[in-house]
Amino acid sequence: MYERDERELRAVTDHLDDRRDAPGPDDARTPDLDPTHDLDLTPDLDLLRAANPVSATAGPWRDRPLNAVAERGLNQLLHRTRARRARRRVVLWAEAAAVAFAAVLALTVPDLAAAPATAAVPGALHPRDGATLTLDRLADRAEAAARAGGPRLRKGSHVQTWSLAMDEGPDAKRPVTLPEEREVRWHPDGSRTERVEADGKLLGERVFPPSWSDAPPRSRPPGTAAALRDYLTEVHDPGFPRRTTPASTQEILDALPSLLDAWTLGARESAALARLLADSGGLRPAGTVTDRLGRSGQAYVHDSRDEHLRYMLILDPDSGEPLGLEALFTKDQPRFAVEAGDVMSYSAWRR
Amino acid sequence: MSTDDSFAAAYREHYWAVSRFVARRLDAGEAHEVEEVVADVFSIAWRRRSELPEVPLPWLYAVARNCLANTVRGLGRRRRLLHRIGLNESAHGNQVVDSPDTERPGSWVHEALARLSPADQEALRLTTWEELGVDELAVALECSPGAAAMRLHRARRRLRAEIDRMQMNVRAGRAGAESRD
Repeated sequence: MYERDERELRAVTDHLDDRRDAPGPDDARTPDLDPTHDLDLTPDLDLLRAANPVSATAGPWRDRPLNAVAERGLNQLLHRTRARRARRRVVLWAEAAAVAFAAVLALTVPDLAAAPATAAVPGALHPRDGATLTLDRLADRAEAAARAGGPRLRKGSHVQTWSLAMDEGPDAKRPVTLPEEREVRWHPDGSRTERVEADGKLLGERVFPPSWSDAPPRSRPPGTAAALRDYLTEVHDPGFPRRTTPASTQEILDALPSLLDAWTLGARESAALARLLADSGGLRPAGTVTDRLGRSGQAYVHDSRDEHLRYMLILDPDSGEPLGLEALFTKDQPRFAVEAGDVMSYSAWRR
Repeated sequence: MSTDDSFAAAYREHYWAVSRFVARRLDAGEAHEVEEVVADVFSIAWRRRSELPEVPLPWLYAVARNCLANTVRGLGRRRRLLHRIGLNESAHGNQVVDSPDTERPGSWVHEALARLSPADQEALRLTTWEELGVDELAVALECSPGAAAMRLHRARRRLRAEIDRMQMNVRAGRAGAESRD
């Protein structure tokens, strides 16, 4: 068995020996500065080419038209982002100018079969004035609570979400509301079941196989503020680990639903989150509020002026547990019957 | 053509090339893993589509490279991937390859490759398996063409040195086997 390997090796190294004896292309030029020198594929590179483990002309990854999986991936990217962009930039959408959607809105669920229903636009939450709790103080409390025990981190989530959405194009459908009750349960084998309900009706239940990815938010969230910031930075900007600046408050708020839709935080992680937000700045206390699920929390708001949006984060005043996150318009959008103060979206996380 | 259209066109044209890029760096046969990583790659690319260059493939490789490096965290998967791409300790060790894997022709070439640093390996793989020229290599490695050319040049020299070393080991192994006979 060695003979063949040796023959192969000798064929290569003899050639390389020759190259060392006489100046070869690499020696004759200054390859560091010559961008064309590699086009001269000498046997070392030819050998590597021959050892290419995945072919472009045969096997599962050969060139061909997209298969169903790939088509679906593309459609999801195009669809989801358009829906999100519609939600975030309602003002830019001209097609729906004539739409009057004050009273009743059609309900559809983009990722599932259309499930027509009616739903009212939820009213904005109004924090009550009174003794406001600074985030710093709340973080102190949450840290004390975590030291005393409290719930533990749990994989999976139970969230109620709603968002105003609009379609695009000349055949744009009416703006819709998406009140959903979404529960993610993980199984010992690493698979998970996602169950979606609306108006008490089951819209869909899917079992996903164990995920390949264990990057945030699939990986376990850390229990310290600094590590959690890194984690959320990675959630916000996956795949770009060389980013040098940590996530801003706005980016943390953008990334937070991804974390909380995957995990139900424990006392330690909730305290870390409260501390992280307190240290980040940009969130100001707005008072006490009763959230969508009837729970009492402390509201903290952050204005995103370029989006004309205000984010309201609702935290449990004692444990720092994130209860909800809402986005509201801060500017009237009369063509779409959206006024300053209207809700664009909300998430309310249950334990 | 809008940015979204350009992205969709790039997706359609390069989906399989990106899949091959990922498959080459993961264990062969794990089709669902490859699909999942490729979905991540295009998801990130979509978010960054305003940066999509006229020739998108090398840029997609850059996204895929970062994505692979960043998402492979599980120990088992990490070990497997690292073994594949030559980042693990044994690949950096100076162990003698005394039984080249005859079931996989060219596996000793992989062995030689695995003994190089990750940066050297990637420059060589991108050049030979993804067939990139230096300008494209620069995009994929996110460096200047001059730096890419330098990296490739150094990587080739080191590969040559590894092949020399393996040849000596194979010869020594054979001599030892003969003397025992």
